[in-house]
Amino acid sequence: MASASSVSSAPASSAPSAPPFRQRPWVRWALPLLLLVVLVVAPLVLSEGVNETLARIGVFAVAVLGLNVVMGYTGQVSLGQIFFLGVGAYVTAYGVQNDWNIVGVFALACLIPAVAGLLVALAAARLGGLAIAMVTIALPIVGVPLAKRLSEFTGGSQGLSARFAETPEWTGLYDDQWQLYVVLVIGGLVFVLTRALVRGKYGRAFAIVRGNENVASSMGISPYRYKVLAFTIASLIGGVSGFLYMLVIQYTSPETMSFGHSIELLAAMVIGGAGSIVGSLLGGAYYVLIPELTNQVDPNLTSLLQGAILLVVLFLLPGGLASLPRALTRGRRRTRVGRGPAATPSTPSSTTGSATAEPAPTERQGHA
Amino acid sequence: MNKQFRSRTARGIAVASALALTLTACGRGDEGGGGGSRGGSASPGITDDSVTLGITTPLSGATAGPGTCTVAGVKAYFGAKNAEGGVEFGDGKTRTVEIEALDDAYDPQQAKANYDQLKDDVFAMTAGLGTPTNRAWREAAIADEVPQVLVMTGDPLFSDPEESPWQLGFVPIYQNEGEAMGELLASSTGEHKVAILSQNDDFGEGYVEGFKSAIEGSDNIEIVNELTYEATDTSVDAQITELASSGADVFFNAMSVTPLMISALQKAQQVNWTPSWFLPSNTSSPGAILEPGGAAAYPGIYSVAFSKTPAAPAFADNEDVQTYLAALKEHGDYPDPPAFPHCQWSWMVGATLEQAFAEMTEPTRENFMEALRSIEGFEAPLMLPDTSVSTGEDGQPAVSTVVVQKYNGKGYDTVETFE
Repeated sequence: MASASSVSSAPASSAPSAPPFRQRPWVRWALPLLLLVVLVVAPLVLSEGVNETLARIGVFAVAVLGLNVVMGYTGQVSLGQIFFLGVGAYVTAYGVQNDWNIVGVFALACLIPAVAGLLVALAAARLGGLAIAMVTIALPIVGVPLAKRLSEFTGGSQGLSARFAETPEWTGLYDDQWQLYVVLVIGGLVFVLTRALVRGKYGRAFAIVRGNENVASSMGISPYRYKVLAFTIASLIGGVSGFLYMLVIQYTSPETMSFGHSIELLAAMVIGGAGSIVGSLLGGAYYVLIPELTNQVDPNLTSLLQGAILLVVLFLLPGGLASLPRALTRGRRRTRVGRGPAATPSTPSSTTGSATAEPAPTERQGHA
Repeated sequence: MNKQFRSRTARGIAVASALALTLTACGRGDEGGGGGSRGGSASPGITDDSVTLGITTPLSGATAGPGTCTVAGVKAYFGAKNAEGGVEFGDGKTRTVEIEALDDAYDPQQAKANYDQLKDDVFAMTAGLGTPTNRAWREAAIADEVPQVLVMTGDPLFSDPEESPWQLGFVPIYQNEGEAMGELLASSTGEHKVAILSQNDDFGEGYVEGFKSAIEGSDNIEIVNELTYEATDTSVDAQITELASSGADVFFNAMSVTPLMISALQKAQQVNWTPSWFLPSNTSSPGAILEPGGAAAYPGIYSVAFSKTPAAPAFADNEDVQTYLAALKEHGDYPDPPAFPHCQWSWMVGATLEQAFAEMTEPTRENFMEALRSIEGFEAPLMLPDTSVSTGEDGQPAVSTVVVQKYNGKGYDTVETFE
């Protein structure tokens, strides 16, 4: 491994005609395949506690991914993502309690939050900048009392429990393994689809809307329509994460969608890396692991420690954890080749095309 | 170019295989650690000389105050016991009791995560505060056969042995409190008209249910008006004005929101309505609610309690209280005077657990649950006279008896009759 890396660095910067490593045809197949194998094997060999933690990370990675679609890629501040997670969770819990078909429940858990998101977006997307943030702030604030008041459907402040992921007999798996597989399949699907979305035509449109709405209009891209679209997709993905939430946590209450969690999701997205698929995963991991970590250090100081970690990450890596490898390679190239920032030509910040998947840190500043 | 190509391949594969190796190395060491133990072999979290208890409770966020207390009390209790050598168990062994507490910030999701983290290391979970945070892992605890006992929630679900075989609530359920108030009123000789205001959720409904069941069949009590409000409302002025016009001389106010309670006390005076009040235990604090509300204007303010208040002058010299305050300082990481009754409750949880430990003949979770459910009429330290811990009653939490107290301008005195 050491020898490999020493060989690679020298010619790396002098191959302008070669496609970047990750876009080589064989790499594009081999890496996902390898990942797939790891994901299939991992639940079988890992311990129960690790599996449960991984499943939780999956749940919140999906929620952060949804937030990324509207915020990271389209540049619209949304503070309401937890509301859609909550709606998805409640729909799932209600469906399961009434013995509906689980596939139908899943469809509803996607559909209802998406419709709710669409309705909100139709009004909110007419506003710009911080105004849209103010509208979305209302969602969790309205959501909590709403969940308490609609006690016929939500169980009021006592919440709803639902265990529906009974492991099928024929699999011979433990509960935690089965749950992790379901999270991996559904979450993985959402990630693959979202990746395709943000890399394709729509992703480019989102990026232009984020960059400059006037430019978008002049190119025949309606900022309003794409904002509504991004918001609706984010809500739908939020609904999916709500379904997974019920699968893994098996309980929801008005506390689930309290406003504070929305802010935590946002912090997780920024820490993971805004406008980045991998960043969404890292954000989910941050959301789940940091409370556990701070609990290990001192359960009485969790909030303080979390705040400190947030600040440290933002100071050292303003582009989020997803920018860590780039920051490292850049540093190494700078010391070895002595050529400075020119060594990273693949991510110019103004490019609106294929660079959406790995934006440079500077790309995020427009909508803070 | 080709060189670069291959070297990068090599690096990629190297990283991947390293990852794969690490993953396999982790392995699934112990098979299905979460499952319940069978028969005589010891359950997780207990050895011949120590037992570990787990707590998940809010230690940060809005409910951190009472949450910190739920850890401090039980930690102080067993800290003091450990310093004396440990707790004697029914199987003849003496064990020290360790407490592992984690912060859930009143987030159900985090509470479940904490439970998952603790369940294989602790013998039992206990003392955690909060209805949603305890409900979040109730079903998992049943499936894993992990005791979730003496938790601080007024939710009756935890005290139903059919539904919750591995659970037991500690504090009185809402119905218990309402019932105690209703009984006092029903025992009065005079005629009384009652106005009821309640929070439109399980809290308010529980209180009213208990209150009504106690006054049922009493001819001298008439409910003249009954209104509700939402926990998120910012004012109940309209309800107070309407209730005032009913001419009631007793006001049963099942309200859990501190600022609303203060404004209700003030508003009733403004409209010249001065009934006797019945207040829930958690919104009847003399310093924080009654004084700012101007409660002295009313003929009587009644509430319920089961624990002594260390701050009250009547208990300042009490031996129980002295021991408790000293231990809280020394072993509970709680140097200040306790600001919430949860500290005292948690101390009682410690005493109740010790009772159960003394009855345990086998170091198993099953045996512990049996022992815990067999406590009858135990007067835990800090308990008020006429209250006790009884765990055998179906549908009742460990403490289901409360005494009604009347505000005396500074604190509360226990009363036997309503006058």
